[in-house]
Amino acid sequence: MKRTHLIANGVVFVFFLFMLIHAFGLHEIRRFGEVGSGFWPLVVLSSATILSFILLIREWRSKGGEKEERSEGNEGDSGGNRIKVFGSILCLLFYVIGMPFVGFILSTFIFILFFIFVLGERRKWILALSPPLVTGLIVLVFGKLILMPLPKGVGIFADFSRLFY
Amino acid sequence: MIEHYLTAFSTIFLPQNLLAICLGGLWGLMAGALPGISTSMGVVLLLPFTYAMSPITAFTILVSAYCGGITGGSITSILFGIPGEPSSVPTVIEGHSLAKQGRAAYALWVFLLCSIGGGLFSVFVMMGATPLIANFALRFGPPEYFALTILGLSVVSGLSGGSILKGVISALFGLFLAMVGTDGITGVERFTFGTSLLLGGVSFVTAMVGLLAVSEIWIEAEEPFKEYKEASGYKGMRKEFPKLSDFRKNLTNLIRSPIIGTIVGALPGAGATIAAFLAYGEAARTSKNPEKFGKGAVDGLMAAESANNASTGGSMTILLSLGIPGSNTTAMLIAAFMIHGLQPGPLLLSQKPEIIYGIFVAMLMANLFLLGLTIIGIRLFLQLTRLPYSVFSAAILILCVIGAFGLNNNVDDLYVMFAFGLIGYFMRKQGFPIAPAVLGLVLGDLAELSLRRSLLLSLGNPLILISRPISLILLCGAVFSIIYPLIKKPKALKGV
Repeated sequence: MKRTHLIANGVVFVFFLFMLIHAFGLHEIRRFGEVGSGFWPLVVLSSATILSFILLIREWRSKGGEKEERSEGNEGDSGGNRIKVFGSILCLLFYVIGMPFVGFILSTFIFILFFIFVLGERRKWILALSPPLVTGLIVLVFGKLILMPLPKGVGIFADFSRLFY
Repeated sequence: MIEHYLTAFSTIFLPQNLLAICLGGLWGLMAGALPGISTSMGVVLLLPFTYAMSPITAFTILVSAYCGGITGGSITSILFGIPGEPSSVPTVIEGHSLAKQGRAAYALWVFLLCSIGGGLFSVFVMMGATPLIANFALRFGPPEYFALTILGLSVVSGLSGGSILKGVISALFGLFLAMVGTDGITGVERFTFGTSLLLGGVSFVTAMVGLLAVSEIWIEAEEPFKEYKEASGYKGMRKEFPKLSDFRKNLTNLIRSPIIGTIVGALPGAGATIAAFLAYGEAARTSKNPEKFGKGAVDGLMAAESANNASTGGSMTILLSLGIPGSNTTAMLIAAFMIHGLQPGPLLLSQKPEIIYGIFVAMLMANLFLLGLTIIGIRLFLQLTRLPYSVFSAAILILCVIGAFGLNNNVDDLYVMFAFGLIGYFMRKQGFPIAPAVLGLVLGDLAELSLRRSLLLSLGNPLILISRPISLILLCGAVFSIIYPLIKKPKALKGV
């Protein structure tokens, strides 16, 4: 677990360092008598880089917290739920990517079905009823009452969406 | 003055104006509570309906919607953990934690009473001290604004559950996010890496939804399959009514927070967000149980809600007395003044006192009506928490998607929300607090522009920041808020 924290803090440090290097390119872009566009980024990013470096060093040196963190990590792992997290992340990713093509109704319907299944829901009546009910309610409120222009999708999916909003 | 108030009361108690308060308040509550519609959008959507109304009825319905929106935003913050506005972030942190412990009805009562209390306080202050607050707000120049943002950020960074270093890094990350896009002064692209997606900057609502709500669902997904805890712990609104002693214990907090809310709400551009965070930070600093903050601290919720709603009065004060909008929503109200041929500012009070006093009384009545309206709204929303947990969290994610999409009706915002969900998940797993990052993002622009304007004013001399009394006091407060937790809790910080 300590290794994970070390890698994470390393990523944070590298991120700020990369942005700091990029910020040096902005420094000279300014009008006469003005503080340049790069001044504030340099102040913020150099502070962030220094502090994240200190955090990295502290993490490297700390040995006492290792046991505690390991036990915390085991607790999380014992649930065996990393797959659920990964699955729910993927569900949202496909939902967001698919929505412009398939339209809001169909993508939401499929998303709910897969998402609740990934979270461990196995009751058939919930699996059967919740996707149409939740989708219907949301389309009614946001598509019909508030008239929010929800994505309709393309081609045949757009024709399908137009039947509802 | 008394005759003006008597006239205003008799006008507001006309049936059409009472109906306007009910409809405006209800619409505001819905707009605030539903993701994708902000309070300002709620007010804008009402504007066309006010064309044909008399000015006083038009402003009655609009200010009622404004007060309702501020109140309604906290319902979804507490129940679902989705902040509608940046000022609701402390409410999400404490209120949603209480809801997850099965105390949603209690948290909602606390929010409701404090919110309405804060709102009423600010209305009374607005009625009596409009010229005074306006004069104070006028003394704020760029150095003072910069110092105020630094104070807000340092207060929140100091609350980072024992790891101030991570809190400060989180705040700096927020400030970095605020830089992305086009520079407000020179128009230079910064950190866009050639993509048009980032040209307009990072939308703080999208980022907030991702960082707070989406990441929360993924964190919850790590736990074994469960029903929503609230479903078993829910005891009903009557049984969960807070005890008088809960408020008595927090008397100082309940007096201090609306004062902070009203004063900071009167500062243009600062508004409700800094007010809520400052009051929340002060509550944490003076709390007898600071370790509870972030895990459902009632005093934190009380402070944030009182200050949040009190900022409406401050914001309206500066609008009515100087014609300067203190927030997005009051900027929309300026449009309403224009539509009705009025110019908000010092002359309005002398030329059209019936409008100004009418608005004062309408806000007072709206806050009272909202007490009843919100109880009905809360009862309806509480039923949603009885849904199976899996369906409930799916519905929250869909509301997040609608909230992010509804801002600009742009699918690109969904990718940004997803990315921030991942960042939020990473931050939570690694113990980086989210609140400082959100506040950094919200205040980043104001901080940078104020600093650069200050340096322009002083021809590059940074001493301007400490040579003005208000700015110096605020900066000292910022230093103190970082150092104080280090002195107070040295043990907790050893592992930082």
